[in-house]
Amino acid sequence: MSVETILVFNNLFAILTLVAGAGAIGLLVYRAVNGPEAAALLGDKAIWLAFAVALVATVGSLLYSEAFHYVPCRLCWFQRIAMYPLAILLLVGAIRREAVVKFYALPLALIGLAVSIYHNFVQFFPSLEGGSCDPEVPCSARSIEMFGFMDLPFMAGIGFIVISVLLAFYTKVSE
Amino acid sequence: MTQTKKPKPGAKDAKSNSTLWWILGGIVGLGLIVALAVSIAGEEPVDETSGFGDPTVTGDPLPVYAAGQEDVSVGLTAPTVEGADWEGNPVTIEADGTPKIVIFLAHWCPHCQAEVPVIQEWINDGNLPDTVELVSVVTGTDRLRPNWPPQDWLEEEGWTPPVIMDDEITTVAVNYGMSSTPMFVVLDGDNTNLGRITGELPTDALDQLVQIAEASIEG
Repeated sequence: MSVETILVFNNLFAILTLVAGAGAIGLLVYRAVNGPEAAALLGDKAIWLAFAVALVATVGSLLYSEAFHYVPCRLCWFQRIAMYPLAILLLVGAIRREAVVKFYALPLALIGLAVSIYHNFVQFFPSLEGGSCDPEVPCSARSIEMFGFMDLPFMAGIGFIVISVLLAFYTKVSE
Repeated sequence: MTQTKKPKPGAKDAKSNSTLWWILGGIVGLGLIVALAVSIAGEEPVDETSGFGDPTVTGDPLPVYAAGQEDVSVGLTAPTVEGADWEGNPVTIEADGTPKIVIFLAHWCPHCQAEVPVIQEWINDGNLPDTVELVSVVTGTDRLRPNWPPQDWLEEEGWTPPVIMDDEITTVAVNYGMSSTPMFVVLDGDNTNLGRITGELPTDALDQLVQIAEASIEG
């Protein structure tokens, strides 16, 4: 895979992250302004959107490791463990229109978010994970840096946040 | 008698139209994002050769340094390196009678990014004696990782020690048994390894490395 291609995907995922993050903020603001009625804005599409986010995150993660040959670090693996099942759970939940899926999906999303936050924290304070860089897969070093601040764990963290917000909206509709 | 509630006429069509608009909006939005991503990526310089050198290494390699453990290669002769900095100025690590401290740096490593200004300030304060030479090796260069190219980073930091640019397969680092960055190697004037250490070092530890190097002259 050429460097130019990888740069395009870096930008693509970075922009998608910003758009998704802005969308989540927009939803939260809309909810704050309109109260519980705001859930009707998305209806049952909230679960499909959450699935789309998990799918893009999963495909993106596999793309970076299998096609671009980035080796996932230890903390990246923990986030993968949380994100990959979400893509399947949310798809089944969306197809079956089962509100109960939130009870399985939301804890996974929140656990993944906690790891993402810690991973971002480690990148800002590298000494938390030792005093030197493993040449291959240091969790403390950024694999990529988009717009001066965004790395893969940041994108994952936004993904978990967006999924959590969408699940919260879906819950309101179902109840 | 039970009555079934009939859906309002057109309700199903309205829902289908709504879904169609969502899908169309998603496709258009994704297309715009892809176009933007391609546009931004096209503006970034892609010179994959920048940041690499073509050093020549001769001699037996040092075994890999196990961080936190005693360096088993103390007393072994380190390989001779003939390389150059990013401007092509020749830089060598050889048995020329001058003890050396060799530091291995990676541009993407946050510990190296933190250590470089510490070392440069330590040098600026006059703590590096003329009897000891400090040579840096830039290794592990990766176009896709942050803080690339390494020469821009070092110039921004005002880095004054001579620099050897390692090649794409990190020949110098491999031959010096580098296990992580930053790594310091202290050599006497005969290029004998006096000890290796990895990680960020405070200035008093840098003073100790100098003392070890100077002791080899006196010894």
